[in-house]
Amino acid sequence: MQKRSLTSSLLDRIVTIFEGGFARLLLVPALAFIGIFVVFPLVWSVILSFTDYSLIGRRAVEWGFIGFTNYIRILSDTVFRDSVINSFLFTIFSALIGQAFLGLAIALVVRMKLPEGPLGTVLKILKVIAVTLVFISWVIPEVIAGYAWAAITEKGGLLTKLLGLEERLYLTRPLETIIISNIWRGTAFSMILFMAALESIPNYIYEAAEIDGATPWQRFRHIVLPLIAHAIIVDFILITIWTFGVFTIPFIILREQPSILWTLYVYTKATSIYEPARAAAAANIMFIIVLALIIVYLKLLGRLRGWS
Amino acid sequence: MRREELIANIMVLIFLLGIIFYFSLPLTWLILSSLDPGATTPEFRIPSRISLENYARLVEPVGKVPPYRWIINSLIIATASATLTTIVSLLAAFVFTRYSFRGQQSMLTAFVIFRLIPPLLIALPLMTLFKMWNLMNSMQALILVLSALVMPFTLLMMESCFRSIPVTYEEAAMTDGCSRLGAFLRVTLPLAAPGLVSVWLLAFVYSWGEFIIPLMIIKLPELYPAAVGLYFFFGQYGRIEYGKLSAFSIVYAIPMVIIFFITQKYLQRGIAGLVSR
Repeated sequence: MQKRSLTSSLLDRIVTIFEGGFARLLLVPALAFIGIFVVFPLVWSVILSFTDYSLIGRRAVEWGFIGFTNYIRILSDTVFRDSVINSFLFTIFSALIGQAFLGLAIALVVRMKLPEGPLGTVLKILKVIAVTLVFISWVIPEVIAGYAWAAITEKGGLLTKLLGLEERLYLTRPLETIIISNIWRGTAFSMILFMAALESIPNYIYEAAEIDGATPWQRFRHIVLPLIAHAIIVDFILITIWTFGVFTIPFIILREQPSILWTLYVYTKATSIYEPARAAAAANIMFIIVLALIIVYLKLLGRLRGWS
Repeated sequence: MRREELIANIMVLIFLLGIIFYFSLPLTWLILSSLDPGATTPEFRIPSRISLENYARLVEPVGKVPPYRWIINSLIIATASATLTTIVSLLAAFVFTRYSFRGQQSMLTAFVIFRLIPPLLIALPLMTLFKMWNLMNSMQALILVLSALVMPFTLLMMESCFRSIPVTYEEAAMTDGCSRLGAFLRVTLPLAAPGLVSVWLLAFVYSWGEFIIPLMIIKLPELYPAAVGLYFFFGQYGRIEYGKLSAFSIVYAIPMVIIFFITQKYLQRGIAGLVSR
């Protein structure tokens, strides 16, 4: 007979307690965590948006309900409207055009067959360097990325100098600055996604097309593109959701120009003493937009996987 | 080589050089200024002498707190919340994959939604709640919040990890007299170990980099995690010492870069899973 260790029999004792209906209790800690720190704040945000709560003073304790006043104020604020428009521009240019396009281009180049000889070796090394740099840009903490971009777009900063400009780039062209920094930051995700999608196309399809005399463009347009179409859609929706909610890098670059994006607008309102409730109203309006995007994504994912 | 092929390859060469140039701009500046003891402005210059002085000066206080303290805070916060998240989501993932109950599918869908919500939308109400509950400046509370915020993500990861291990192994152990949880702990868990490690590392990375949540609920400089410390150092403090800041950034970035290179395979597999049909 096998001798059982003390710990092992103790484990069995505990295990029997949790058997049967009790096992479901193991869900409780996770649901409590998410319930208290994710679901409840979201519900609270809705309640808060109908009150006159303020961070200090009498209204911090004796706040009351004031109906839709905060929503009306927010919707008639042109700064808010502009920030939402800017957020859309920011998302279209930095995510859909910048990250997705660059990510696909890099993935295609990585997949390309390289020539023999010295040129091939050079290209191979450059490929590794490029992919590594793109990857590192994506993994360093966001605050560092923000700081580095702020510094190189300062007066006399590396990028400002290269462009031959005298003034701070992030002050004269704030939207463009945060767009190029966000392309830099997020391209890696699209690149990795497209690399995986291209990987799944079997080689013989390319070879067959090559034998049939298809030009590179024809091969891309009629073979690669249809086969990675679903990856492009998934990529577009995910990067749209993420980019729409981007806060940290623009916040750090544009310290002196708040409210250019809706996220920065919400933060500015949230930290000004009398306006957290108004910030909550703005946040809830944006939450509806984000939620709509997420639902589109889920529906699509369901269709792609054939669940729905 | 044919002519068109040569032209194509040269275009690829130019493209790659362009990518390398663009993506190395901020990194080049960070590294160069961190090694330049005279870098006190954002002005770009080639260092006249290379030294590690800026790194050594991270023990000098900024305001009242030496910057290395913020790195230690981050280490504590990230380690604690990653461990907590891993344990809690391990328990939940066990129930999710080994039992079936009402509302299971809608819970999983809810987790996907939570995972995609911008953290700002949670940070704002949390700040007002924490003000009322007197939890501002509490590191323990911050650890709990960060654990909860990454949980939808780790739970889904853990769930798919357990699902990929055939239940038949466990059933075999159960036929041999193991209890259900016993079989899970003795058979499935060891098989899932690499997945568990990557869940822990990802949760660590999340807390290590998170900025907006601690920014809104931690207001005491000695309790700042590195992300908020760096911002405070940069954004709020009178004269900015760029060289020292860059050195701090590099120290702060290194663990994350190492972890990502270790988990690269899992990460790629996870992203590839998004597009597999």
